[in-house]
Amino acid sequence: MLHQQAEDGHVLRYAYYFLARILGEGDTQSISAGGGIPTPNWDALADLSSIGGITRADVLPRIIAQLTKEAENPDVSVHPRRVAALKALTCTPMSNTDIVSKLYEIVFGILDKVADAGKVRKKKGMFGRQSVDKESALRSNLQYVALSALRRLPLDQGNPAFLHRAVQGIACADPVGVRHALAMVSEMAVRDPYGVAMAVGKLSLAGGALQEVLHIQDVMSRMYLARLCYILSRARGIDERMDLRSQFTTLLYQLLLDPSERVCFEAITCILGKFDSHESSEERAAGWALLTSAILKFPDPSAQPSKDSSATQGSDGSTASNDSVAKFPKDRPAPRPRRPQPLIRLVMRRLESALRSHLRPVLHAAMRIVQEIGKSRAAAFALGMVINEDSVPENLIENGDIIKADSEVDGGDPAAEVSRTKVVPLPSSLAANSRESIASMLSNLVEGVRTTVACECFYVRAAAIKAMMWMQSPEESVEELKSTIAGELSDPLWPASLLNEILLTLHARFKATPEMAIILLDVSRLFATKAPGKIDSDVLQLLWKTCLIGCGPSGKHTALEAVTVVLDLPPPAPDALEVSVLKDHSSTSDPKAAVALQRLTQAAVWFLGENANYAAAEYAWESKTPPGTALMMLDGDKMVAAASSRNPTLAGALTRLQRCAFSGSWEVRIVAAQALITIAIRSGEPYRLQVYEFLRALAKGGVQEKLKEAYVSNGEDQGASGTGLSSIIAPMLQVLDEMYKAQDQLIKDMRQHDNAKQEWSDDELRRLYENHERLLDLVSLFCFVPRSKYLPLGPTSAGLLNIYRNRHHIDATTGFNDPAVATGIADLQVSTVTRIEYPPIQIDAAVPSPSDGLVDGIWSSNLAGVDRVNAYLGGVGTDAPEVEDDTATTRASVSYDDMWAKTLLEASDGEDADEQLSGSSSPESTASFETSVSSQFGSSRYPSLFGNTTSFGQNTRWEEEHRPGTRFGKFSGELTSLAEDQPSYVESSPANAPLHGTHWQSGIGNQEPLHSPSSEVPSRPSDVQYPEEARAGKALYEFTAGGDDELNLTAGEDLEIEYEVDGWYFVRKKRPGRDGKLSGLVPVLYVTS
Amino acid sequence: MLMSVLFANSSGNVLLERFHSVPGEERLHWRSFLVKLGTDNLNGARDDELFVASHKSVYIVYTVIGDIWVFTVGKDEYDELTLVEVLHAITSSVKDICKKAPSERVFLDKYGKVCLGLDEIFSQGILEHTDKDRVRRLTRLRPLVE
Repeated sequence: MLHQQAEDGHVLRYAYYFLARILGEGDTQSISAGGGIPTPNWDALADLSSIGGITRADVLPRIIAQLTKEAENPDVSVHPRRVAALKALTCTPMSNTDIVSKLYEIVFGILDKVADAGKVRKKKGMFGRQSVDKESALRSNLQYVALSALRRLPLDQGNPAFLHRAVQGIACADPVGVRHALAMVSEMAVRDPYGVAMAVGKLSLAGGALQEVLHIQDVMSRMYLARLCYILSRARGIDERMDLRSQFTTLLYQLLLDPSERVCFEAITCILGKFDSHESSEERAAGWALLTSAILKFPDPSAQPSKDSSATQGSDGSTASNDSVAKFPKDRPAPRPRRPQPLIRLVMRRLESALRSHLRPVLHAAMRIVQEIGKSRAAAFALGMVINEDSVPENLIENGDIIKADSEVDGGDPAAEVSRTKVVPLPSSLAANSRESIASMLSNLVEGVRTTVACECFYVRAAAIKAMMWMQSPEESVEELKSTIAGELSDPLWPASLLNEILLTLHARFKATPEMAIILLDVSRLFATKAPGKIDSDVLQLLWKTCLIGCGPSGKHTALEAVTVVLDLPPPAPDALEVSVLKDHSSTSDPKAAVALQRLTQAAVWFLGENANYAAAEYAWESKTPPGTALMMLDGDKMVAAASSRNPTLAGALTRLQRCAFSGSWEVRIVAAQALITIAIRSGEPYRLQVYEFLRALAKGGVQEKLKEAYVSNGEDQGASGTGLSSIIAPMLQVLDEMYKAQDQLIKDMRQHDNAKQEWSDDELRRLYENHERLLDLVSLFCFVPRSKYLPLGPTSAGLLNIYRNRHHIDATTGFNDPAVATGIADLQVSTVTRIEYPPIQIDAAVPSPSDGLVDGIWSSNLAGVDRVNAYLGGVGTDAPEVEDDTATTRASVSYDDMWAKTLLEASDGEDADEQLSGSSSPESTASFETSVSSQFGSSRYPSLFGNTTSFGQNTRWEEEHRPGTRFGKFSGELTSLAEDQPSYVESSPANAPLHGTHWQSGIGNQEPLHSPSSEVPSRPSDVQYPEEARAGKALYEFTAGGDDELNLTAGEDLEIEYEVDGWYFVRKKRPGRDGKLSGLVPVLYVTS
Repeated sequence: MLMSVLFANSSGNVLLERFHSVPGEERLHWRSFLVKLGTDNLNGARDDELFVASHKSVYIVYTVIGDIWVFTVGKDEYDELTLVEVLHAITSSVKDICKKAPSERVFLDKYGKVCLGLDEIFSQGILEHTDKDRVRRLTRLRPLVE
């Protein structure tokens, strides 16, 4: 080897350096140290010099052998080489067990010789390092190297020798050695606090090595000391050794006075209960309580420190007030007696001075510490810990007895009051200053933080904003925070990643105190409005969602409002573009911002659709609408009014979505339509009808007059040619149509059975059930609904479905997907096990079953919001209405694409489902389904085609009856066929039903049977829309029909007024008029009744 | 954990880098991230003026000496203040080796010694010596204390 002969230290050092790198390169190329001078590629060399045949594998053992030999060489003359060799050896990957065991051997060999021998000259080494004899110097040197090597070796937790040597190392004369020793001991302390506390115990006593670490130059040693003291002071096992515990606490508190910010800040975070990533909120809260109540008592310099006194004094039981003694450095002349200091004051002073620093890292670190303070404070708030921030910390000092009282009881405690009066004014000029309460200190701190926002470094500013967010308490005004953030966000240079990090902080803040959801949403709104182009819509969505879940029943409306504010954002104005171009051309360009804004809008719309029902606590399957209410809502305006008065949240969301479906970009409109159908499916009446009507109008943008008439309340001008969404809306309308029709049919069938006093046959029940399942499948294509609760056929179907399912042992959640059911095995079961049943029909009862995950009001229960959100974030599951949690975390646009694709595929899916489920449907009906699919796009007549497709397909009557158009459709043809107005139920009522405004037909279908279960006229089950009897009327004036559904009138003509809708009468003539029409709509004012 | 120490010249070319526990593919990101930080902030900065940045729980402290940018990246106990210590140790040692705030040329001339110095200041993500005299002694293979 080269270095065996070399004399020059430098050259030798290079040799060791290269050897170390060769060893370190190992097989784990990617993890080893990289870059710099490339070490020789030994394998390549081997290829080149086939004669020499040197490979890395050949070289390694030789290197290791050589280094090991040198590392074990006790010869003093080669001591530096020994040090370098050991260091190089530790670069070996730790996967090599042979080398590791060899290293242990060497290291312990050195420590055995050095550390034990070093005990005698420890003091000398510590305080007179310059003048130590050569032998001691060598020893300390070796000990350092051994400790350094030991630290790189895997921790040998259970090995008492390891712990012993590490603890011994704390007394090492070499400061870096002390640092390594403390680092190892503190690491071991995490796992075995008791064992380490016992081992370190002796060192912590006055005059012990731990005390001396306080005065070591090395910053990191003191930092590790803070950690160690923290871990040991809260170790469970040492409860009976209060003296030890108090020693550690005092040491920790003393480190608050450390000249280095690093050490002081470490001590603060430790006191605050933050040690590593998995701290609990209880620890945090306790940390805040400790910080606000604990006192650092300086030892009385006149009293000679003695082990006995510290042991007895410390056992008074309070960790906060211990009278242990710290040894003062000998180089300080006779320290003055120092007044005990409340920790909070020390910390605040320190932070304030750090905030005045001109060093960015110090500022940044101080901001982080303020964040930590805020976090612990928030945890204390969340846990309901009462900490009287108006108290004056000095009061605690005057009377040690009240420390507990003041920290645990509210400030109103008489003991605290008494003590306040007892306080003797401070003689110094500091008196006025030091009378501050905690609250005023905190506000000073926040003021300091606020000024730091002026720092030119974005990272410091971001940290300052985060700190302000954490320091914001629920009862304080949020205005200052908002104005600060708003000012910051107007700076176009902010990097997007930082802004998103701030948003995530907001999220974390919310998790800590869910009651602040409203304030935080308020703040998040700023981000959405000020810098929409830079905000990741996923992050914002996550925030919305957590806030929505956590903000409680009262806050949900506000939560949704915060979301909808995004929808009101104006597109980036051209002049804004010019400004930003002038300012800095590197800022986000306009198209980019526009795209981002659009993504944000999409996210908001999607979020609205997905969560509006949850926020509004309105679900079809637990509708709070009293039966029969729908009857009152025949009129469109009344309906909207009733809807918004009953549930303003949902009504508001609907209005926003409707607006989005009209205006906005193509992508946004699609998502809006998707959102609307989700709400329609999940909501009860009248919301479903409202959406239905809206979608229908949207699909038929061409019929101008009707649009205007129906949506005049929106104040929107829809433009001339519709919205171009009809192809998307068609399948949605189809589903709603199917649901309404099936509901109608069910009511009709029920009436029939009632009147004929006829039981439902199994076959009929089966058809009903198949229809139910089919509709469920259809509905599930659009959004998630709970299969076991959702009743597409209306609440009345629950009883019949239950009968069928119990008879055939069909599980409500699996339905026909259960193989046992599909194969008929379920029928063979003779089980008495009670099956899940649909909720009882009495909607009024509104008693949600406990298993209902979608029940609102969980937040009003006693469960802490924190737990909920944490559970939710931990992936445990949520009470949010959607199951597609992953969509919130994936890119929004992707999920929309998926949804869009799904919508397009829906038609064929629906067909499949149809075929699969309605096995009994005739080929004819399948065929007609296909026609409908092919012709539904843009077709205004498609609903009539859909009448054929149900599993009632065999029922020819059904097919015939459900062909008519709708109110807005072309139905003149059907009208003429109805001219006879036959009394027969079979022909008249179903034909009329769709005519009479789709918006109330099924509402009645849902509710009416409950209201009047046994109807009087068997032949007109669907006639319930009509008033009991048509009123007679007379045409006052001549009226010319303006549309297909209107009716020409001749003055003086006799009429029958069927019903009134929206300022129009639906009237029937005695005989057809000159246009051949018999019935239609006429303005109310034209008719006298 | 001291994740990375990186030297670059004032045009953003990496001169010397040390990574620890950073997978190969991430190093690329770090390089470009650090160089971008330097380009954005270090032009016109004073010698030894400290800059700070953070990315999630990783801290970055960087400065400029002469023509050379120096970046340190750390996490856990190597927070921004510890990195200040590390950076101070590095810059004082580099200045000691190069006799002054180095130009790129001098730095490359003393490249080997700088590597040895760095090897003494930290190894395997752990800070060792911060005192430049100790570093100098060790790079010459002399005992720490005599």
